Amino acid sequence: MNTRRSLSILALGMASAIALTGCASSGSGSDAAADCTPADGPVELTFTSWIPGIDGVVDLWNAENPDIQVTVQTGPNGNGGTYKNFFNQITAGNAPDLGQIEYDALPNFRVQDGLENIAGCANVLESQDQFIDWTWNQVTFGEEDAVYGIPQDTGPMAMFYRKDLFEQAGIAVPTTWEEYQAAAVQIRALGGYITNFPQNDVNWFAGLVWQNDGQWFDSSTGAWDVTLTSDASLQVADYWQGLIADDLVSKVPAWTDEWNNAYNTGSDWTWISAVWGANSISSGAPDTAGDWAVAPMPQWTEGGTAAGNWGGSSTAVLKGSEHPYEAAQFALWLNTSDEALTALAEAANLYPATTAGLSLPVFADGVEFYGDQPIYDVFAAASGEVNADFTWGPTMTQTYADVADGFGQVLGGTGTLGDALTTGQEKTIAALKAQSIPVVE
Amino acid sequence: MTTTELTAVPAGPAPAGPASAPARVRRAVVKHKRAILFFLLPFGVLFALFYLLPIGYAIYQSLLVVERDGTFGPPVEVFGGLTQYVQVFQNETFWASVGRVLLFGVVQVPVMLGVALVLALLLDSPLVKGKKFFRLAFFVPYAVPGVIAAIMWGYLYSPNLSPFTALTSNVDFLSPQFVLWSIANVVTWVYVGYNMLIIYSSLLSIPAEIYEAAKLDGASQLQIALRIKIPLVVPAIVLTAIFSIIGTLQLIAEPQVFRSFTASVSSSFTPNMAVYATSAVPNVNLAAAMSVVLALATFVMSFAFLKFTQRKANA
Repeated sequence: MNTRRSLSILALGMASAIALTGCASSGSGSDAAADCTPADGPVELTFTSWIPGIDGVVDLWNAENPDIQVTVQTGPNGNGGTYKNFFNQITAGNAPDLGQIEYDALPNFRVQDGLENIAGCANVLESQDQFIDWTWNQVTFGEEDAVYGIPQDTGPMAMFYRKDLFEQAGIAVPTTWEEYQAAAVQIRALGGYITNFPQNDVNWFAGLVWQNDGQWFDSSTGAWDVTLTSDASLQVADYWQGLIADDLVSKVPAWTDEWNNAYNTGSDWTWISAVWGANSISSGAPDTAGDWAVAPMPQWTEGGTAAGNWGGSSTAVLKGSEHPYEAAQFALWLNTSDEALTALAEAANLYPATTAGLSLPVFADGVEFYGDQPIYDVFAAASGEVNADFTWGPTMTQTYADVADGFGQVLGGTGTLGDALTTGQEKTIAALKAQSIPVVE
Repeated sequence: MTTTELTAVPAGPAPAGPASAPARVRRAVVKHKRAILFFLLPFGVLFALFYLLPIGYAIYQSLLVVERDGTFGPPVEVFGGLTQYVQVFQNETFWASVGRVLLFGVVQVPVMLGVALVLALLLDSPLVKGKKFFRLAFFVPYAVPGVIAAIMWGYLYSPNLSPFTALTSNVDFLSPQFVLWSIANVVTWVYVGYNMLIIYSSLLSIPAEIYEAAKLDGASQLQIALRIKIPLVVPAIVLTAIFSIIGTLQLIAEPQVFRSFTASVSSSFTPNMAVYATSAVPNVNLAAAMSVVLALATFVMSFAFLKFTQRKANA
């Protein structure tokens, strides 16, 4: 009897302790833009990122700013482990001051109360005009007086294609999705595939939906509206379902040797991808140097100019940073100064989120691998066509995993891409409810 | 020190006979109490820090639920009783993964242990030459880390990159129908040598006199293997079976690696992968509840298997 009573007292004590800490942390919540004042003395900041060569870029800052020294920690890419580390570090109260967070993961960090609102820091709100519209919406969530990160890079999409193969076969470069499908049939007859359907790149698929003016999430009403199965989304799904069913696309897992091999041997002819994909092709398919070219994405309506976006990151100030002012100044320098943007482009091919950055000299020249085509002109044009109102959900890691599981079943011969989106929709709603995140029914 | 002296006094004049033996044993134990505690301390501290504490924390986490206000309200963890466990039991994906590894275990564990037993008996047979070489050869796969083994087999299975494309382009070992058994093959390849070694060392401890007696009675090598060796190594086989059951329920590395070779392995293919995926959401409370359920299931199954085999042995 005694033991049981003391146990229940213990449990009660624990529960109230948690409730108390909960209250305490919500009290210091991130609702209002906090005061943001410079520190009195020298400041040391930590910054976690997975951009190759980022330390060289940060060295430029450290050399010019002896009083704000930034230490870089590198890790695996976000969904590959860094986000998990961030969440754990935020819970433990020892997160780095700054972290690289992709746009699609920002709502998750916001919902988990992992970001500092840096709108109150000098120069932050003023910088809005420098950024491409849609990227600014990603870091503010459409809220007034709120900025949760500084946009870093973007991934406007276009079509990489094997110019030589299209010319040899006498197939016109497709400008609409209808022509793309017709070209796929012709290419299949020649023994090739027009492209590959990547099971795990659900964010790629989202980029296609984005191009079609589709939305997967909307938080503007105060609760989350999950619309993976909207008409625009299902139209894209049906289209690719047709290509898969007719065996017009290859189905190897992306980012593997087998996938590189398909491009390197000329078995796959096109890749609808983001600007950073230029590097993936040149490193994955080195034997095809000079054979590639870039054209705008195929369109749903003839003469259209819509473009999707795949990827892109922000530099966010993580919860608990003692020096949000200095962190914000560093993030602004990193993502707006010509010097840093050029260094990031040279080190890792990052494509800036600022409008001025797109016309940096580093993006002006022709690229040898693409037959000296000035490919960045195509992406700069696409960048201006990206719908500004696309919203990511608060549990994208889960949404991606569940939709990818469904896509995997389709490639294994069961179900359709539409079914996969329906299941993804249901599981996402369940995941939101499990965390008490309000959902529009 | 006082304790030792106190017990030492009555032990001295105790009458000789059967009663004195337990008394002497008790005195010896008490005498080294501090030494025993001292030597147990490193284990005890590490065991508490890295075993009991994490388990306790996982159980604690599994009893919490998250509450929040509004679209971006900060999460607040509150005591939720068994809410997360209700979620676990309603989670079809999780139970599908449990069913998958159970099917895997029912087939793979007997096959692997059967092969391990046969190999051990062959090594132990006086008729086989080159034992040292074979013993090492069978054991070498275990020295290959599981992840490396999975990557290697992934390439061997791959339809376009395999050295055996003539076979793999016709039979897709990575298709949804086959992938579970392709993984079973990798696991068997890695662990068969390890289990063989446990059984083999148990065979080596059988006294030679027993074989001598059997031979005098006219038993053949086959009869010796079936009637003497196998019954005597049953405890070793039970041990390897329990290790294998635990290993099966905790399968994660091989299927995780296979995800980069095929679309057939989902993000929650095995229970541990489901836990990992859930913790990445991040929904640590549900993931903790899943881990606790999985740990209990593993414990119950291992214990049930042990009880079952013991009863059989006694019958």
